[in-house]
Amino acid sequence: MTDVTLYHWEPNANSGKPMLALMEKGVAFNSHYIDMLNFDQHKPEYLAINPQGTIPAMTHGDLVLVESTAIMEYVNDAFDGPNLMPGTARDHLRIRWWMKFMDQWLAPSFSMFGWKFFVGPNALAAHGREKIEEQISRIPLPERQTAWRKAVFGLFSEEEMAESGRRIGVGIRMLEEELGKREWLASDAYSLADVNGFNLAYAMPLSQPHLANDELTPNIMRWLRAIYRRPATRDCWKLGRTPMASRVEILEQDYIPPRDESEGISSGVNAR
Amino acid sequence: MSTILYHGEPSGPSLTVLAALAESGIEVECRPINLLAGDRHTLPGVKDAVTLDMGVEGEGPVLVIDGEALTESVFIAQYFDEIGNGSLQPKDAYKHWEMLMWCRRVTERGSPAAAFLKCQAHAQPVLAAMDDGAFAKLTAAIASEDLRARWENVRNGNFPVDQIADSRTKVIGTADMANAALADGREWLMGDFSIADLVTYSWLCADLVPEAIEGKADLQAWIARMAARPSVQAALARATVATPEACWAPGPEINRWG
Repeated sequence: MTDVTLYHWEPNANSGKPMLALMEKGVAFNSHYIDMLNFDQHKPEYLAINPQGTIPAMTHGDLVLVESTAIMEYVNDAFDGPNLMPGTARDHLRIRWWMKFMDQWLAPSFSMFGWKFFVGPNALAAHGREKIEEQISRIPLPERQTAWRKAVFGLFSEEEMAESGRRIGVGIRMLEEELGKREWLASDAYSLADVNGFNLAYAMPLSQPHLANDELTPNIMRWLRAIYRRPATRDCWKLGRTPMASRVEILEQDYIPPRDESEGISSGVNAR
Repeated sequence: MSTILYHGEPSGPSLTVLAALAESGIEVECRPINLLAGDRHTLPGVKDAVTLDMGVEGEGPVLVIDGEALTESVFIAQYFDEIGNGSLQPKDAYKHWEMLMWCRRVTERGSPAAAFLKCQAHAQPVLAAMDDGAFAKLTAAIASEDLRARWENVRNGNFPVDQIADSRTKVIGTADMANAALADGREWLMGDFSIADLVTYSWLCADLVPEAIEGKADLQAWIARMAARPSVQAALARATVATPEACWAPGPEINRWG
């Protein structure tokens, strides 16, 4: 029996962060799958847990926790198991810096591409515009409503997409450079920054094959494969139910050559 | 180990870290820099400009340890607390999560809003008065394109009315959140004094949005307690100008997802 329940979508991005952190810590938890594209997160049962309607959320006994990176810090603080905030205070600062940079600067750009070419069209095809619009109108936070409309209906301007594309390129170069300094992203031992980063970057060789591959970014590829080999990562991605999560299988290839941009997210991923 | 804290005048993120340093009981060499002169981008002895230039916070303080530049005021405050007396963060894991969440709400919504309004009021006239060559030299040293664009927007007076309105709403929202937390009579936002108090106080922006604190007795009493706090006074004593609250440089960007 466990008194920990995690409400999550696919092992990917924000949902995947606390999932993988719990598994790395060896914490047993009840997995409660929220089908985000069916808007389970805005149904009364879930809003009773998290009134803001964001996923993931975690309950530990009577406590309710939200926000993926903050949940990960809680998981590391509250439970026994390997320390995922290793090293010195200086390492902790660097780990937190990278998590904030990925959460607030880099991930939203990846997310914009993901929604525009993959998640948004799939959601519209599955549920229809009218139903989705009605469900969005019930979201409590107005800025979340705006974000959802932009996401599902692909209402990103050319400038926004260009800026996101620029950030993805810059971010990949920064990750490659940082991973050239040490084995893990932000410290000499595996940390929450790696858990966070893997959730952001695991599908990069598939979605951005012209930017992330064994020729251009050998350090990123080494890092992604090392995380993919970890038993916790294998167990975590087994909880995926859609083609989104199965993109992780690209990391089973020993060598990923550079490819043309057109073989990436706007074609290859979308076609699955 | 060589550790130097480069900080701006005690306002916004620099106020947070200077007060946190005073609370922590440790000694670190502090060097004032002029953030609005772009000093942050030409620091001596910095091996790697990445974190210094690409930090989400924008023009905030920089902690340089053995040539490594580390940024983000909340994390620097946590660093001082961890190597110091450990008085600024709850020990209980859930209360610690609450503090992290609080700081994130302030820095994600309140800080971009405060920086936007403060730059409009105080930084724009300074940058607009610079000659083109000096401004070009300043911005050429900024590695982050989006941060450079925020500098250019400030200099050009590009402050769209809807963003001004939205920023005022967010400043008021942060003040409302603090006032609500204090409603049960607690002395500090998380119960015990913490980094949440420093961050909230540093980004309050009530001088430009006075309605944010009007009629909120609990919040006003907390502001008075903060102002009387020795660490805040020690931070303000490092000011080299009469009005440090008017010293701002481009800060975090406004959320791109609306």
